[in-house]
Amino acid sequence: MSWIRNLLSRRRIDRDIADEIQAHLDEKVDSLVAQGLSRERALLAARREFGNVAHYQERGRDVWRWRPVEEFFADLRFALRQLRKAPAFTLAGVLTLALGIGANTAVFSVVDAVILRPLPFPDSDRLVSVQSRARNGRADSLSYPTFFDFRGRNRVFEHLVCFRDTEMGLSGAGAPVELSGQIVSWDLFAALRVRPAAGRGFLPEEEKSGQRGVVLSHRLWAERFSADPSIVGRSIDLDRQPYTVVGVAPRGFNFPIGSRTVQFWTTLAVDAASATGTPITEQRGARLLDAVARLKPGISPGRAKAAMDAIAAALARQYPDENKNVPATVVVPEIEAVVGDTRPPILILLGAVGLVLLVACANMANLLLARTAERQREFALRSAIGAGGGRLVRQLLVEGLTLSAAGAAAGILVAAGCLRAAARLAADSIPRIEQAAIDGRVLVFSVGLAFATTVLFSLAPAYRIARARLIAPLKQSSAGAVAGKDRLRNALVVFQIALGLVLLSGAGLLASGFLHLMRRDPGFQPRGLVSFSVSLPQALQRGTKHLDFDNRLLDRLASLPGVASAATTSTLPLAGHQMTISFNVEERPSAPSEHPACEMAFVSPEYFQTVGIRLLEGRLFTEADDGQSPPVLVVNRAFADKFFPGERVPGKRIEPGAAANHTRMGMREIVGVVGNARQDSLGAAPDPIYYYVAKQLPWCCGSYVVRTSGSPLALESSVRSVVASLDSGAPVYGVRTLDDVLSAGIAGPRFHALLLGAFALIALALTAVGLYGVLTYSVLTRTREIGIRVAMGARRGDVLRMILKEAGVLVGAGVAIGVAGARAGNRLAADIAPAAAIPQPALLFLACGVILAAAALAAWFPARRAASVDPMTALRGE
Amino acid sequence: MMLLRTLQRQPLHGYALVQHIKRASGDLLQIEEGSLYPALQRMLKDGMLKAHWGLSSTGRRVRIYQITPAGTKHLDREVSSFDRMLEGIRLVLTPEES
Repeated sequence: MSWIRNLLSRRRIDRDIADEIQAHLDEKVDSLVAQGLSRERALLAARREFGNVAHYQERGRDVWRWRPVEEFFADLRFALRQLRKAPAFTLAGVLTLALGIGANTAVFSVVDAVILRPLPFPDSDRLVSVQSRARNGRADSLSYPTFFDFRGRNRVFEHLVCFRDTEMGLSGAGAPVELSGQIVSWDLFAALRVRPAAGRGFLPEEEKSGQRGVVLSHRLWAERFSADPSIVGRSIDLDRQPYTVVGVAPRGFNFPIGSRTVQFWTTLAVDAASATGTPITEQRGARLLDAVARLKPGISPGRAKAAMDAIAAALARQYPDENKNVPATVVVPEIEAVVGDTRPPILILLGAVGLVLLVACANMANLLLARTAERQREFALRSAIGAGGGRLVRQLLVEGLTLSAAGAAAGILVAAGCLRAAARLAADSIPRIEQAAIDGRVLVFSVGLAFATTVLFSLAPAYRIARARLIAPLKQSSAGAVAGKDRLRNALVVFQIALGLVLLSGAGLLASGFLHLMRRDPGFQPRGLVSFSVSLPQALQRGTKHLDFDNRLLDRLASLPGVASAATTSTLPLAGHQMTISFNVEERPSAPSEHPACEMAFVSPEYFQTVGIRLLEGRLFTEADDGQSPPVLVVNRAFADKFFPGERVPGKRIEPGAAANHTRMGMREIVGVVGNARQDSLGAAPDPIYYYVAKQLPWCCGSYVVRTSGSPLALESSVRSVVASLDSGAPVYGVRTLDDVLSAGIAGPRFHALLLGAFALIALALTAVGLYGVLTYSVLTRTREIGIRVAMGARRGDVLRMILKEAGVLVGAGVAIGVAGARAGNRLAADIAPAAAIPQPALLFLACGVILAAAALAAWFPARRAASVDPMTALRGE
Repeated sequence: MMLLRTLQRQPLHGYALVQHIKRASGDLLQIEEGSLYPALQRMLKDGMLKAHWGLSSTGRRVRIYQITPAGTKHLDREVSSFDRMLEGIRLVLTPEES
C-alpha cells in the first residue's frame, strides 16, 4: 500500500522536486553570469536549456502517483462539482434513493423481526398454542380442570404447559417493587427446551398447594440481586410470602413472547392455595389460562387438533354446565399465535413499501435519462476536444456511484429513524417489534438495487454517446429523440401515478378510520383521571379487610388538594374484557348452560361520578348499599338494550353467578342504568356490562381512580405517600392517566395509518418528481420544435397548454388505472382499517384530487420553461 | 544507464550530474536539462538511488544522489545487455569476411 504513503508524503516530494529544480537553475545562472552574461540573459539561457520547468516538475511528481486512484479522485471531485451545480437534480436523486432504500429497509426489518424470525427456542417449529374453541367459533382460554384433563388424557404432546399473567410485589430486596410474572405448570422450561442459566426449572411436585418455587429472569437477577449465583436455594419475598429461588432464566429469555417483559415464573401452586373459597385450580368455569405444547415427533398440528377435539368433546359431555360451550380446540403453531393479527397489516405494508422501492428505481431511471439528455452537448463537446469514450463513461459511472452513495447513506439514516419511530408508535400493539434492527441483508439488497439502477441508467445513455456519432448533437438538433424510449418513460410515469393513487387512497381510508376512533365519544371523561393499583399484602386480602383499607385510602385521596373525587373499580374503562360472568334473568329463567353472560365489574359508589359516566335512569349506588341492605346492581345502556329491549329496566331482577363467600347468590335488583363507557377502544359497538357495589361483592382487589383538577401525573407522588402512610410496604404500580390508556388503545390503527400515510406521501413526492423529470426531458428534446412553433406565431399560452396537455394525458391514464387499483387495494386495507367515518368513494375522490394537484405542480415548472423558450436562441442553438 | 554509471563513481546533485554528462560526452548529447529530473525520481522510487540534502561546491543547498546496491546491480545488468546488443549490432554491420 505504498501509494497511500505516497499520497501522504506527496507534499514533501513536490516541495523537494521544486526546490532542487530551483537550485539547479540558480546554479546555472551563477555559472553563466561567471562566464560574463548579464543576469537577465543568463536567466533566459538557463530556462532555455532546462526546458519546460512546470512540465518536468509535473513529470517528476507523476512518478510517485498511482494513476487510477488519482484519476478516480479527480473524477470524484468533478462529479461532486457537477452534482453541486445541479442542486435540484441532486436533491431529487438523493431523496428518491434515501426514501426508497430507507423505507424498504426499515419495513422489511420489522417484517423480519415480527413475522419471519422463528421463536427463540430450540426446535420452535414443534411448539403449538392450545386453546378451547367455543361454539360461536371464538378461541377461548382454558380453566385449570380442563387443562389438567387435556394434559392427562392427550397422547400427542411431549409437554403441555399452561401459563397466565400475574403481578407480585417484591419486598426485602431494595425498595418494594411490583414485578410482572407468569404462573405456569411445572414443565415450562422442559417444553421450551431451555436450560436455566443457574439452578434448575420446576419439578412436578412443585405444583402442589403450599409449594413456592420461583425462577427469576436474568435481568431481575442482575439488577436486584447483583447476579449473585448463590441466590439459588435462597428465599425471597413475593407478596410478603417466602418463595424459594430454584433457578435463573438464561439471558434474553422471555416467555410468553410479546411486548411484556416477564421478570419471574412461579408454579400454579399459587393458584392452588386460595385464601378465599374454592381455589381456581378447581373451578372448571374459570377460564383464564393460555397453553403452549411441544408436539411429539411425527405428530402434525392437524393430528394434534383432532386428538384434542375428541378430548374437549368428551369433557363437554362430562361437564355440561361448564364445558358445553367449549366442545373443541384451536391448535396452531405458536409462532402464528404470537404473530397473529399483525400478519395481514404488516404484509400489506411490505407490499406497499416494495412498490415504493420500485417507484424509486423508476424515478432514478427517469431522472438520469433526463439529466443525460440535458448534458448531451456537454459530452459531445468534451469528446470533440479529446476525451475518449471510455473516459466519459467512467466519469458518468463515478457520478452515478457518487449519487447512489449519497442516497444510500441518507437511506440508512432514514431507515434508522423509521425504525425508532415505528417501535415507539407501535408501542404494545405489535409483538417483537422492539427487536427490529436494521437488517444487513435487506440493506445490502436495497442499496445494491439502487446502485444497479443508477449505474445502469447512467451508463445506457453513456454507451450510446460513446458509440454514436459524437458530433451529431453538436451540429444537429436533438429533435430526433428516440420515440421508443419515451414510451417506456411515459409508461413508468403512468405506473407511478397509478401506484401513488392506490397508496394514497389506502392511507386515506386508514386515516379516516383512525380519526373516527379518535373523535368517538368514549362514554366517560378521561381528562384529569389517573388510575393506579396497590399490591395489598395477603393479610389485607382476606375477607372484607381490604374494604376498610379502600375506605381509608379513598378518604385520604379525596382530601388531597386538587382532587375532586376518588373511587375503586375492578375494571377500568378501555381496559378490555376482564370478567365475563353469566346470569339468570328472573322473568325468563333458563338452564345454567343457556344463561346469558356479559362483562361485570364491582365499583365503589363514587365510581360513576368520578369517571364521568352519566346516570340515565333510576339511581346510582350509595353508601347505604352494603352487605346488610338488599342486593342491587347498576347496568349500562348497552346491557339494557340487549337484555331488556324497549323495557323500563330499573326494578328488573337477575341472578349473576358471582358471589363472595359470606354473601349468598340470589336475585338482585337493577336500580339504575348508566351511559356506555367503552371497554374496548377498537370495538365498533359498546359492550354490555353490569356493576356490583364493592361492599356487596368484596372481592380483592380493584384499581383506584382519582379525578384531579391539577396535573394528573403530579398526583403520583402524593398518591404514593398516602399509600405509604396506610401500609408502608404496599407497592403502588400501574400509575397511568386515562388519556394515556385511551391513546395506547388506538396505537395499532394509528401506527397503520401513519405508516401507510408516510408511504403515500413518499410515493406522491416520487411521482411528482418522476413526472417533472419526464416533462423536463420532453421539453428539452423539443426545444427546437417549440422554438419553431413560437416563431410561427404560437403564443406562450399555447406552448404552456401543449406541455400541460401532455402531462394531462399521462396523469389521466395513471388516475384511471389507479382508481381500479385503489378499489382492489382498499378491500385489503379495509381488513385492517377501523370502520371509516368517510365513505370510500369520497376518499377516492379526495385522493385523486391530491394526485392531480401534485401532478399540476410537477408539470408547471417544465411547462413554464417551455413557454419561455426564446425562438431565436432555440433555433440558433441548434 | 549513464546516470547510474556517473553516480557510481561519485554522488552528485542534479546540476553537477548534467554538467558531468555533458562534459563526458564531449557535448555530443544535447538533452534538455530538465528531463533529468523525472528520470532521477523514477530511479529514486525504484530504489536504485537514494538522496539527501547537502551543500554544493558553491555552497548552495542541493539534493545529492547516491547509487544503492540495487542500483549497482541494475546497472551491471543493463550494461551487460547493452554490451550484448552492441556486439550484435557490430556483428551485423561488420562486412562478412570471406
